[in-house]
Amino acid sequence: MTLGDFPAIAAASMVCWAAGALLRFVSRRYSLLRAPSYGIMVTGTLLLAWFIAAYWLALERPPLRTLGETRLWYAALIPAVGFLVEYRWNIAWLKYYCMALAAFFLSINLAHPDVFDKALMPALQSVWFVPHVVVYLVAYVLLAASSAAAWHNIFSGLRSSSDLRGFSLSHYLALLGFVLLTFGLVFGALWAKEAWGHYWTWDPKETWAFISWLAYLGYLHLVANKSGRIGQQWYLALSFLVLLVCWFGVNYLPSAQNSVHSYQPN
Amino acid sequence: MKEWFGDFRSFRVPSMVAVLVVMVGFAIEYISGRGVPMLFWPANAFFVGGFALLLVVAGIAFRNHSLVAWFGSIPLGLCLIFSLALLSLLGGVIPQDGLAGGVLAGRFGLNRIFSGWPFFLVVLLFLCNLGLSVVWKTFPFRFSNLQFMLFHGGFWIALACGLAGATDLQRVIVPVYEGRQNSRAYLPQENRMVQLPFSVYLEDFSIEEYSPQIVLYDPQNDRVISGQTGSVPEVGKGYRVSWQGISATVMDYLPHALPDRNGTPRAVSSAQGIPYAKIRIAAGENRFEAWLNTGSPFVRPGVVRLGRFYLVMFPGSPKAFRSGVVLSGRSGKRSAMLEVNKPVAYEGWKLYQMGYDENAGKWSQLSLIEAVRDPWLPVVYCGFFMIMAGNAMFFWKGMKQREMT
Repeated sequence: MTLGDFPAIAAASMVCWAAGALLRFVSRRYSLLRAPSYGIMVTGTLLLAWFIAAYWLALERPPLRTLGETRLWYAALIPAVGFLVEYRWNIAWLKYYCMALAAFFLSINLAHPDVFDKALMPALQSVWFVPHVVVYLVAYVLLAASSAAAWHNIFSGLRSSSDLRGFSLSHYLALLGFVLLTFGLVFGALWAKEAWGHYWTWDPKETWAFISWLAYLGYLHLVANKSGRIGQQWYLALSFLVLLVCWFGVNYLPSAQNSVHSYQPN
Repeated sequence: MKEWFGDFRSFRVPSMVAVLVVMVGFAIEYISGRGVPMLFWPANAFFVGGFALLLVVAGIAFRNHSLVAWFGSIPLGLCLIFSLALLSLLGGVIPQDGLAGGVLAGRFGLNRIFSGWPFFLVVLLFLCNLGLSVVWKTFPFRFSNLQFMLFHGGFWIALACGLAGATDLQRVIVPVYEGRQNSRAYLPQENRMVQLPFSVYLEDFSIEEYSPQIVLYDPQNDRVISGQTGSVPEVGKGYRVSWQGISATVMDYLPHALPDRNGTPRAVSSAQGIPYAKIRIAAGENRFEAWLNTGSPFVRPGVVRLGRFYLVMFPGSPKAFRSGVVLSGRSGKRSAMLEVNKPVAYEGWKLYQMGYDENAGKWSQLSLIEAVRDPWLPVVYCGFFMIMAGNAMFFWKGMKQREMT
């Protein structure tokens, strides 16, 4: 499997998500369509997971090096979180936000295709590579879902504040995301010591990782301080923007010219 | 006193104090014209120890005093978290090289935020706040507070010791040539050489490379154009790459070869040879075969001219580079292999494979080895492991609470 197959797979996944969501809407009247609608949505995600696995084999390294590669994982994992939340807590709306976000990230990859490149620079050849990046990826996925839930809460919560489940959903997603963010940060520091000689050098990516960690640390203390609920939702909804800067934006900042965290092909 | 502070959950006073501290920091930075003068060992250790003791005494003895209670309150903590985030934001946007942003930025220390006064004062106040909260949760000890103690205490230790110990961190570069020994190292920040307590002898330096790439080079615009590849993803027999109107197919590939007397490439050992590829080229009506090679200091690169373009083969990026060294010091001689991500510890130092002569590439005789000594590392790592333990407990507690909702 190479990148030549990516547009077809990405399109198929997006069609599955859209068709499944549409079918789910129709199944409100015709309950017979309910099971197939879920089947189609999940198929969209499985297709992408299959592509990642095959691409991993073809690359002979984990496809976690470039931003485009991390977006692939993100697009596969975030709808999975949406489905799991519905399965576990019976909250249906989150998956639509998740699928929309995943489609958005797939579209970025379609618009800016990666180059097939097996090379994994020596600095990345470490046992820390997979745990550090995967922990961060899952953290970002959970915090994106938390942000989506917070936006939903803001708009529905302003109308009626009766739905407490929505509030606790965004809270627990953020809490889990923060735990993984912390692990990712510390793993990164331990790895940096092995690869670059020091655990913290205020490299732009490190600085932004610290800022985003502080942002969510701030959220947990707002909760501990029993600040207003809608304020907390706004805070969660907007905190994700800081994460996005840390993830993609850093590369475009003037401070990132000499960053050691740039693994994009020239 | 209490009335003046108002409600302990209110942000009014804490936010004013945080803004004031940042402004005072910038004022000191502007007036003094330089960052915080740092303490060296053992003064920094006394400072951190004394500071911790002060917090423990203040936290226990004056627990009910409203000023101490305010210093350890969540709203102040939150305002300081935001101040730290905002100062880091400046440090994350402005290049931190001590030069960016012109004279005024330099005067306010914006291009060296993390060693400047505003950051120092905010961190100091933050450590007061964090430290007091840890003291209150630790005395009297309750098992239910363990997660809080580990996470917050670990953060306090990592932050305080990481910053205070930064002055004792030594990072030097040891340049060493193959077959030679060196015990002098370069100190980049101070641009001078220093004597090491041990010496490094370089037996062998070697590089492994990924497969080369075949690309079109446009000399007029100094531009490299990558082509569309077929089903074989990397250069080897059967590899095909095409551009508009031009295609190249690899008929034969020798990863390590040198030309014989007649100029025909022959396979040799990997240490000597360079990649050669026999390619069939189709450019418009033209069809012909030619050898490409990546070139080396001893062999001219084999390229093919196609109109205003050149078909060239670039060497692959480095896959691994390593130095076989012999270290000699007070503890005797020791052989070691240095590789990226695989440092070697020796007599309190850690040695890292850092770089090589990139212009010579695979033929580099020079290896750059970084030697690092960080006496504070065990304490900072202790903080990291406490954070991780507290974090794991936080995860567990969060999951359990979730089951209840």
